[in-house]
Amino acid sequence: MKTTLLVAVDSIRALLHERLLLGLMLIALALIAIFSVVLIGERKMMTRAFTAQAAANAPDDSKAADTADVDVGPAHSTVATAPTENPPAKAPVSGHNLSPEDRKKLAEQMEQMSSIFQGFFYQVGSFGGSLVALFIFSTAVATEIRQGTIRITLTKPVSRPQYLLGKYLGGIAVMAAYALIAGAAMILFARFGQFDLSPATRFAPWLMFCRQLMLGSLALLLSLYVHPFLASILAFFAGNGLYSHANPLFYLLPSYSAFNLFGQMLAGTLLNGKDVLLLSLYALDFVILMLLLALWRFRTKELV
Amino acid sequence: MPAIRLENLGKTYRGGWGKKGSVSALRNLSLEVREGEIFGFLGPNGAGKTTTIHLLLDLMRPTSGTAQMFDRPAGDAKVRRRLGYLPESVNLHTHYTGRGLLEFYAALTGIPPETRTGRIDQLLRLLKLEEAAHRPVTKYSKGMLQRLGFAQALLHEPDLIILDEPTSSLDPVGRKEFRDILLELKRQGKTVFISSHILSEVESVCDRVAIMDKGELKRIGTLQELSAPVSVKLTVRGVRGDLINALTATSAEITFARDEVVIKCTDPATRERVETLLAEHQLTAERTEVETQSLEDIFFSALGPKKEM
Repeated sequence: MKTTLLVAVDSIRALLHERLLLGLMLIALALIAIFSVVLIGERKMMTRAFTAQAAANAPDDSKAADTADVDVGPAHSTVATAPTENPPAKAPVSGHNLSPEDRKKLAEQMEQMSSIFQGFFYQVGSFGGSLVALFIFSTAVATEIRQGTIRITLTKPVSRPQYLLGKYLGGIAVMAAYALIAGAAMILFARFGQFDLSPATRFAPWLMFCRQLMLGSLALLLSLYVHPFLASILAFFAGNGLYSHANPLFYLLPSYSAFNLFGQMLAGTLLNGKDVLLLSLYALDFVILMLLLALWRFRTKELV
Repeated sequence: MPAIRLENLGKTYRGGWGKKGSVSALRNLSLEVREGEIFGFLGPNGAGKTTTIHLLLDLMRPTSGTAQMFDRPAGDAKVRRRLGYLPESVNLHTHYTGRGLLEFYAALTGIPPETRTGRIDQLLRLLKLEEAAHRPVTKYSKGMLQRLGFAQALLHEPDLIILDEPTSSLDPVGRKEFRDILLELKRQGKTVFISSHILSEVESVCDRVAIMDKGELKRIGTLQELSAPVSVKLTVRGVRGDLINALTATSAEITFARDEVVIKCTDPATRERVETLLAEHQLTAERTEVETQSLEDIFFSALGPKKEM
């Protein structure tokens, strides 16, 4: 175990020195930041437009509506399937004289907008994370074989399984850090944008992490057969989303789409703890299977 | 117990698809390296030296035969604790400083933390890397990388050290220091398996050598065992005219120096004839000088004509 951890720590250090990886992570996080700013700005514009329209429809309130930004408070996407009958308690249109009906309409629109924004936010974070995961796992062992650094490491008292598991653990640690950063960014995004995080969004960093480990473990396995770049492409497009339930490939290929909350956020589907647990177990099964296959392949792989 | 035992070791690289274009890199190699000896492993490019080392280190799987170290299969974790390896191309992790890299390998080889720093300092001093110890490995020159690679190979004081072209990037001073370290290792009873192109280097330190060509073992033994006499010079006093006439009739080269006659025989038949003539005249050689082949002569005679390294 100690040896595996040593290899894992070495792997993390190597990844932190990898400019391309750092660049990818920075780009992913920058995209998240830019997206947050754009979405928050967009939300404000929509609110203004709505309030102006409401004010035009109700001449009595027009003066108030024209005056300033309208704070509609946190928007809720939690129960989009069962829209709120009354305006959310936390969503007063403070300082303005919108009618209760307008307030309700505005709150509903904010809900929808919030779902869409959070969905897009998740997509950006998830895509960036997938690129990072593919890079990390597809190059973890293959690059060391290509560069020849593995030759010295494996002539030390390090078994091949210890080495592979250490590399994998290092990758997991970096991906966990990415998921934490993306999760924190999501919370900040919601706070600054005055969105209320939906339950689906609350689970997003964890499910994103699971999906990325699935991608990564498949990329790692494939990289033991083909070039890391090709392994990454194959792993990325290996999802069963293109196949129907009648096609055997549907059951053989990984179900990445189940971890993609974008659709659920848009459709407003409620994701509960049980769903998350089942998805986590599925991801765990998949990752273990891929790791076992990778260990089997690596056991006899020529390393020169 | 031999430090290394190879039995009928073979390796064939398969071509792209099927067996077409497959290359036999090593064929039925059997040899033993004894504990405590410095063993030179020689051969031109493509002779199978590096392939043999990779098989021995379990970085590759043999097509046939077995490789053992200290009576255990190649790749055995216990054996690796007793093994130090310096590859031909020293590719080291670039995300460390020189000292950091040695600390990582020291931890991997299980050197206790309390002795780690002392051992690393000792090796950095020995290999003249003290000043560069805190520099990133990316800033090291080729020669420094080779020294650092050598340091990691010696770090855990292994019983068997496998060196693949260890001095290819060193300057003459570095080579001399390297030879001194090898001799010190020998004095400590370590076994060194050294693959090299530089014959003079091997000649000066190795107890035994093996010469490989095209994946086959051509010769193995001590330098004395491998070197055939090139010529024998017999110095004789009191040689009379009739004997001189008889000697000049043979293919021996005769030279006169004051009252001595030096007879140089370049083949065994001539030497036998000369010795018979001397015996008939009741004379014996006062001095006999045997000129033997250099390692280079042995090497090229093993490979056959016009072989380039």
